Amino acid sequence: MVERTPFLNLFTHVVLFLGFLLCIAPFAIVAIAASHNLRDVNDVPMSLLPGSDFWLNVETAWTTADLGPKLLNSFIMAAGVAGGKVIISALTAFSIVYFRYPGRTFIFWLIFVTLMLPLEVRIVPTYAVVANVLSPYQTILDLTGMTWLIEKVSGVQVSLSLGLLNSYTGLILPLVATATGTFLYRQFFLTVPDELTEAARMDGAGPLRFFLDILLPLSRNNMAALGTIMFLWAWNQYLWPLLITTDQSHATAVTELKQLIPNVGGIPEWNIAMAGTLIVMLPPLVVVVLMQRWFVRGLIATEK
Amino acid sequence: MSMIKRGLAALAAATLSTALAMPAFAEPVKFDFWFGLSGDLARVVDTMCKNFNESQKDYEAVCTSQGNYDATLQNTIAAFRAGKQPTVVQVYDVGTATMMLSGAYKPADKLMEENGYKIDYADYFPGIARYYATSKGEMLSFPFNSSTALMYWNKDAFAKIGKTEAPKTWEDVGADLQAMKDAGYECPMAINISANESWQLMEQFSAIHNQPVATKNNGYDGLDARLEVNKTKFVQYVTDLKKWYDAGLIKIKSKDLGQDMVQAFASGTCQVILTSVGDHGTVGRTQKEGMNWDVAELPAYAGTERKNSLVGGASLWVLSGKSDAEYKGAAAFLNFIHDPKTALFWSTNTGYIPVTKSGFDYMKSTGFYDKAPYKGREVAIASLTASEPTEITRGVRLGNFTQIRAEFGTQMQAIFANKVSVQEGLDALVKNGNAILERFQQTYPGKTLP
Amino acid sequence: MEKRVTFSKSTIGILFAVPQLLLIFTFFYWPAGQAIYWSLTLQQPWGGGNIWVGLDNFRSILSNPDYWNSISASLVFAGISTGLAMFIGLLLAALTDRQLAGSRFYRVVLIWPYGIAAPALAMAFRFILAPEAGFMAIVNRAWPGFWDPGLDGADAMASIIVAFSWKYVGYNFIFFLAAFQAIPRSLIEAAAMDGSGVVRRFWDIQFPLITPTIFFLLVINITESFQDSFAIVDIMTSGGPANATNLMVYKIYSDGFKGLDYSGAAAQSIILMLLIIVLTIFQFRFIERRVHYR
Repeated sequence: MVERTPFLNLFTHVVLFLGFLLCIAPFAIVAIAASHNLRDVNDVPMSLLPGSDFWLNVETAWTTADLGPKLLNSFIMAAGVAGGKVIISALTAFSIVYFRYPGRTFIFWLIFVTLMLPLEVRIVPTYAVVANVLSPYQTILDLTGMTWLIEKVSGVQVSLSLGLLNSYTGLILPLVATATGTFLYRQFFLTVPDELTEAARMDGAGPLRFFLDILLPLSRNNMAALGTIMFLWAWNQYLWPLLITTDQSHATAVTELKQLIPNVGGIPEWNIAMAGTLIVMLPPLVVVVLMQRWFVRGLIATEK
Repeated sequence: MSMIKRGLAALAAATLSTALAMPAFAEPVKFDFWFGLSGDLARVVDTMCKNFNESQKDYEAVCTSQGNYDATLQNTIAAFRAGKQPTVVQVYDVGTATMMLSGAYKPADKLMEENGYKIDYADYFPGIARYYATSKGEMLSFPFNSSTALMYWNKDAFAKIGKTEAPKTWEDVGADLQAMKDAGYECPMAINISANESWQLMEQFSAIHNQPVATKNNGYDGLDARLEVNKTKFVQYVTDLKKWYDAGLIKIKSKDLGQDMVQAFASGTCQVILTSVGDHGTVGRTQKEGMNWDVAELPAYAGTERKNSLVGGASLWVLSGKSDAEYKGAAAFLNFIHDPKTALFWSTNTGYIPVTKSGFDYMKSTGFYDKAPYKGREVAIASLTASEPTEITRGVRLGNFTQIRAEFGTQMQAIFANKVSVQEGLDALVKNGNAILERFQQTYPGKTLP
Repeated sequence: MEKRVTFSKSTIGILFAVPQLLLIFTFFYWPAGQAIYWSLTLQQPWGGGNIWVGLDNFRSILSNPDYWNSISASLVFAGISTGLAMFIGLLLAALTDRQLAGSRFYRVVLIWPYGIAAPALAMAFRFILAPEAGFMAIVNRAWPGFWDPGLDGADAMASIIVAFSWKYVGYNFIFFLAAFQAIPRSLIEAAAMDGSGVVRRFWDIQFPLITPTIFFLLVINITESFQDSFAIVDIMTSGGPANATNLMVYKIYSDGFKGLDYSGAAAQSIILMLLIIVLTIFQFRFIERRVHYR
C-alpha cells in the first residue's frame, strides 16, 4: 500500500512481535530444558540460562529412541493423512456443493457428524475394524443372508479378511476419515462466483474439467492451510499409532518418545526427553516453512 | 527304472523331512510381550528381553512398550477382542480384579507346571504373592516390578532439631514437623493429594494399621465389597494431615504445580516425604550436593501393632488363545525373570525390589545393600515383611479401582480446599466409590473372583 | 446454503462423495455403531458378555450431579477458549496480511503452536503456570496466594484454557491468513483509492469476505474444544482440583480408557455427540445467516 500509517504500523509490529514471543516461548523453554544436565533440569525453578549438554542430550535421544527411521515413518504417515484429506475432502465438497441430488444435505451431515466423536473414544471398536478391515462387510453379508446365498449358488464360502495392523494403510486411513476438510472446502466453494461455473458450462466444460482446471487452482490457499494443519495433526498422533504398530518397523517418532519420557519412579531425564521432543517437533516446522510458499494472493475479483 | 523311482522318492522324502524340521532349528519361536513402562525403565526391560533372547535360541521375546499402564491394559483389551493379543502382558496392581474376571488369561502356575518348570511359590515374599494370588492362594500371574512406600527424611534438618532417628509414630512426626517449622524450615513435609497418592496415603496406611479399605476383606471375598474408609483410623489420619497443612507444616507439591514431592525433597526444599522406594535412585541422582538423607518405614500411630505394608507395581499375565509353542516360550521367559540373577539385574538398574526371598538373599550375598547408592533399600523389604499378611493386609481387590482412586483425589482436593469437612469428604468418597463398585458388580452378573 | 448454478449429472456427483463415504462408514460409523450398542448394555471389557439395560446408563449418568458439573465446565471452557483463540488468531492474521516487513517470517512462526508435541506443551506450561516455580511465581510473590491451580478450580480452569487457546491460535491463524490472502488485492486497492483507511477497509471489505472462514473456524473451534481438550487436561490437571476441570471428553476418556467402564463411556459419548450436534445445528441455523458467501 502506498498510504502512510505510522501509528498503525507501529501497532502492527508490536502486536506481531508479542505474538511471536507467545508462540516461541514454549519452544524456547523446551530447547533450554534440552541443554541442561539431569540435576539442573530438575532444579526448581529451572534456570533459563542454557546449559552445556545440548548436543550430548540430542545425541543420546537420537540413538536411544532410534529416531532416524521413525521420523521417516512419521513423515509417510503425516504426508499420507494430509494428502488423503486434501484430495478426498475436495472431491466430497465438490459433490455436495455443485450437484443437486436427493440426500445431499443428509450426506453432508453424515460426514459432518464424524467431527463429533474423537478416535480416542472409539478406539477399541476401531481397532477391531483395522484388524480386519473387511469385517463390517462380512457382517453385512452374513446378516442379509448374502453369505448363505452365495454359498448355495457358487459353493464358495465367503470369508473376507484384510488385516491392516502394522501397515501404513492402517495408520493412515482411520485418521483420514473425518470431516474438517470437507467443511472447509464447502465454505470456500460457496464463495466461488457462479459466473465462473456458468462460463465453464458455456465453454462446454464438464464437472471434472471445471473441478480440475478452475476450482482446484482457486482453492490453493485453503489446500495449503488444510494440508499444513493436517500434517501437524497427524504427525503428533500418539494413541492410534501406539496401538496398531507393535512392529518396530512401522513405529512413529512421537510414539517412540515413550523410550525417553520418564516413568513415574524412573530417572527423571527430562533433559533427554525434551531433546527428543525437540527433534521430533522440528520436521513439521520445516514443513510449515515450505508450505507457506503456497500462500498466494487471490487473483480473481469476486465482482458481482 | 523302478529303482530310480524309489531312489527319487526316498530323496524327496528326505528333503521334505529336512524342510519340515528346518524351521525348528533356524527360526526361534516368537512371542509378544507388552509392557507399560517408559523412559529408562523401558530401556531396562528391553535389555532384559535381549538378555533372555541371547540366553537361549528356541524362543524370541518381542517386547513392546505401550507407554504406560492404562494404555497397556486398554491396548491389550482391544487386541484381545480382535484376536491379536500378546502372549505375555504386564498389568498394574489395580487391574488385578479386572484380569481375574476377564476369562482371558492362562493361570501362570498351571502354565509353568505344564511346561515342566518347578516354581517354589513359598519363595515369594507373602506380602507380594498374596497381593496377586487368588483368595485361595493360587498364583494366576507372576509378580514383576514391585515396590512399597517409605518415608524419606532429611537427616540434616532433623539434626537441626536434635534428632538422629526418623520418627516412628505419627504423634512424633507432628511434633518434629512443628519443631522444624519453628527452626525456620518453610516446608517441613510435602504431600500430594492426587488420585495416585491413594496408594501412599490410604492403602498403605490402612494396611500398616490393619484397617480395612473395604468390606469382604478388601474385596478378596466377593464383588459385593463396599468401601468403609469413612469410619476407620484413616479419618484420624486425614484430619491430622489437614491440621498440619493448615498450620503450614505440610505443603502440597505436585507435578501440576511445577515441583513434585520427589524434586522438593531432593532439592532440600521439603524435609519429609512419603513415596515409593522406586524413587530412591532418583533422589540419589538429583539431590542437592552434600545433603544427608535416609529412608525409614512409614510411621504408625502410637500403640499400633504394626502390620506389613503393601506392594505396588505390576504383574505379568499370560493370555489365553495362543499356541503351545508360544506358551513354551512364555514359560521360559517367566522362568528367566524368576531367576535371582535377573532379580539382581532388575533391582540394580531400577528402583524396584526383589520379589523372592532367594532373590533378596542372593542380592544381600553380593553386597548389594552395603554400599551407596543402594544402601537403605532393604528397609522396603523390612516394611513388606513386618508381619504375615492378615486377611486385610494382603491387598485391595476392588473393581474399577482406578476410578475409585480418582474419586479419592477429587475428595481430598475438596477437603484441602476447605470445600467440605474431612468427614463429609470421606463420606462422599465412600458413597461415590460404592456406586462404582455396584456398577462393576452389575457388569459381571453371576461371576465370582477366583 | 445453495448454489444457484450446479451441474446436472447427479450420478457423477454422488460418485465424487463415494470415497469419503466408504471411509467414514468403515472407520467411523461401524465402530461408532458398536459404541451405541454398548451404551444400552453393561459391557464386560474383555468381551466376556454383556447385559441389556436399556437406557439405564443414560439415567444413571444424567442423575449424577458430577456429570452436570462436567457439562457446565465444558461449556465454560468451550466458550472462553474459542473466543480467545479466534480473536487472537484473527488479529494476528489481519496484521500479518498487511505485509509489512517481516510478515513472511511471522506467517511461518505463528503457526508453530499447533505443531507442538504434547510432552513439550506440558513441560512448557508447567514451567510457565506453576505457582511456586515458574512465571506465575513472580505474580504470587507480589500477591501471595493469588495463583493456586492445585486447589483453586478457577485457576486450574484458566490454565487449561490458556494452553488450549494457545495451541488453537496457530490453527486459526493459518486459516484466517489463507482467507485474507484469497481476497483480491485489486479490491482493497480500489477502496484505498477511494480514500478509506485501513480499519475502515477491514470492516467494509475484508471482514465480510472472510465470514465463511469465520463460520468454519467457529464451528470447528467449538467442536474441537469439546474433543481435543482431553490431552491437555490429562497432562495439566487430570480433571482436578475436585472435578473443576473434569471436562466431558476427559471424563469419557478416564471412565472408558482408564476405568474400563465401556458402557458408561459410550453413553457419555452419545450425550456429548448430541450436545455438539445441537450446538452445531444452532450455529448453522442462526449464525450462518450472517455469512456472506458471495
